[in-house]
Amino acid sequence: MFSVLKERVGDVLLPGDEFCCGPQETLSLTDSGKPERLVAGPGIRQSGDRLLVSRSGVLRHKEPNKFWIESQQRRYVPAKGETVIGIVTAKSGDVFKVDFGGSEQASLSYLAFEGATKRNRPNVQVGDLVFAQFVVANKDMEPELVCIDGSGRANGMGVFGAGGLLIKVSLGLVRRLLAPHSDLRADLEKLFPCELVVGMNGRVWVRAASVQQTLIVANLLQSCDTMTPSQRQQLFKRVQQGGL
Amino acid sequence: MIFSYNLPLYIYIIITSALVNLGLFLFQKENCRPDGRELFEFRTTTLNIGSISTADGSALVKLGNTTIICGIKAELANPTTDAPDKGYIVPNVDLPPLCSSRFRPGPPGEQAQAASQFIADVIESSDLIKTEDLCIERGKLCWVLYCDIMCLDYDGNILDACIIALLAALKNTQLPEVAVNKETCLPEVDFEKRQRLRIHRHPVGASFCVFDDSILIVDPTAEEESLSTAHLTVVTDEEGRLCSVHKPGGTPLSGEKLQECINRATARQREIHKLINKVLDSVKTAQ
Amino acid sequence: MMEVSPSENVSLREFGCEQTLLSRPDGSASFVQGDTSVMAGVYGPAEVKVSKEIYDRATLEVLVYPKVGLPGVRERSQEQCVRETCEASLLLSLHPRSSLTLILQVLHDAGSLLSCCLNAACMALMDAGLSMSCLFCGVTCAISTEGEIITDPTAAQEKESRALMTFAIDSKEHRVMMSSTRGSFSVQELQQCIAISQKASEKIFQFYRDSVRRRYSKNL
Repeated sequence: MFSVLKERVGDVLLPGDEFCCGPQETLSLTDSGKPERLVAGPGIRQSGDRLLVSRSGVLRHKEPNKFWIESQQRRYVPAKGETVIGIVTAKSGDVFKVDFGGSEQASLSYLAFEGATKRNRPNVQVGDLVFAQFVVANKDMEPELVCIDGSGRANGMGVFGAGGLLIKVSLGLVRRLLAPHSDLRADLEKLFPCELVVGMNGRVWVRAASVQQTLIVANLLQSCDTMTPSQRQQLFKRVQQGGL
Repeated sequence: MIFSYNLPLYIYIIITSALVNLGLFLFQKENCRPDGRELFEFRTTTLNIGSISTADGSALVKLGNTTIICGIKAELANPTTDAPDKGYIVPNVDLPPLCSSRFRPGPPGEQAQAASQFIADVIESSDLIKTEDLCIERGKLCWVLYCDIMCLDYDGNILDACIIALLAALKNTQLPEVAVNKETCLPEVDFEKRQRLRIHRHPVGASFCVFDDSILIVDPTAEEESLSTAHLTVVTDEEGRLCSVHKPGGTPLSGEKLQECINRATARQREIHKLINKVLDSVKTAQ
Repeated sequence: MMEVSPSENVSLREFGCEQTLLSRPDGSASFVQGDTSVMAGVYGPAEVKVSKEIYDRATLEVLVYPKVGLPGVRERSQEQCVRETCEASLLLSLHPRSSLTLILQVLHDAGSLLSCCLNAACMALMDAGLSMSCLFCGVTCAISTEGEIITDPTAAQEKESRALMTFAIDSKEHRVMMSSTRGSFSVQELQQCIAISQKASEKIFQFYRDSVRRRYSKNL
């Protein structure tokens, strides 16, 4: 099955496409004989002894054994460990309700901030932006966010947002921004210095030296969603030269 | 902490899914249904004709616990401009909150409206009544038949019961004679002389429920309908022609199973046709 | 599956589709069959009203808006057909207690409306990235008064036909998911129409594949 999947990496697949175990593949005598383990990521699910594709998109592979379907989506579905930008909508007792763009609001305990104790409450108001990560995010339970990591440090998370602009982009653009050697980030760096907070729920917060520059960066990000790399570079070049 | 009030939800989910699995287990292993019927057995059908004296025609059908009553009211109207020599039939299916707790008071929901559309399509497709028979004077006067079908007790399979009720009520309907007075151009209705409607075809429906596209059962109850993965209604007439194959989505069905459903539907049609004729004859001899 | 004689060529009108044309819905698509054109938009998984929520799966709502006038009884029955077909192919248990809304706007009706709605719905659901177990497509067949079977009829052909059938066919095993018929016909005619629809569905699924490939080729 591994080889069948590897052949199709880079192909566009549709929901309903199947990969089943072919007739016993020839076992190599020199291999260690360990059974192959395959990690099926988003878009691929297991049904019996077959793998079914459940979303339309491109099949991607990451060494050694991860396969997933990369699809263009706009709606965020929470997953554990992902960092998102949320907006605080309510304060009820010990818990803040945070809207992150999903099907229900997440809860954020006031103790989940660095240095917060029962006496020392964090300064969070309704309407504030928070950068937090999911500690509980499955389909059956209410999602829960925290602003501290495993060791109790903030690590960049918490309340932020004075002076910047929050925009909504597609999830694909966010993934491209956060990729290890991202062309998009490299191009942006060449433009002008700006501060970016990228939430995996499709929300990006931008702040640059002046309001015009902030608006330019925000508009650029929203428009380069659907452009090919060459078109994007052309656009950035025009901006650098002050054309816009 | 926050976990404690989510825990009961987990337990609820486990219990309900266990009940669903138990129901499917009964169908598959024991080949019987919760009410003891075979997979292809219909519930007892009882028919009562002419119970509403204020209507021009009426019928009450009981299919097990499902109770549907149909009343026909005939009124005079002007025919539409694009069909000046035809009358029209207006069916309306009503599912009031009386029949089941799942229907709330207010405007008709999707199920009632879809059922009304289905009945209208069956009337048109099967040529049950030739609308030309309803015309009194071309371009000026025609009969409009308002068929009000109301459910009194919802226990699944309302489409079949609605068709039987409608058919029986129409066979029972007697229209008074109307003559257009030449001088005054007004219609004169003679309530003493009444004529029966001419029914050309007798469409009868058979509804089926599919479970995971392997198990097929006939005449589902409300509980079986809510557990099933697809519904199918086949309407046939006495010549073996299909008037409607209504499967509003759900899991796919293979060709062989579809053919099996059609065969059972034709058998059912003969049964119901005999029942309606028997009841009508007994009403006539009683009069 | 009944064999269709090779001489019976399944002819469909020219079709076209476009995905992600609207900026606000999570998924959108427009499907054109000849002159009939339908636009579909999907929102979800989003918040659901407590009265409508289902504890273990998403609540799917379908709304069909005709070109002129308000939605009536006919639109409700079309909504029921589209909704149950979508529910059978979507993996709703992945999003419990959320709502999925599918809105279909009829832009022009020149025959085969229900099958155009089904095709637009399938493309919009794919565009929104919702998990599906299989794809589906809609095919309409009309039986003329002479007994000839016409696929994808125009409005004029539909009016003169003796019977009109719309089927939704799934992509995995090419079986009938949804069937909606008008007019009377014999059992053989039904079987023939199903066989012809299954053959036509292969063309439509290939078209889906080509258009999705085209869409993703820009970013490859």
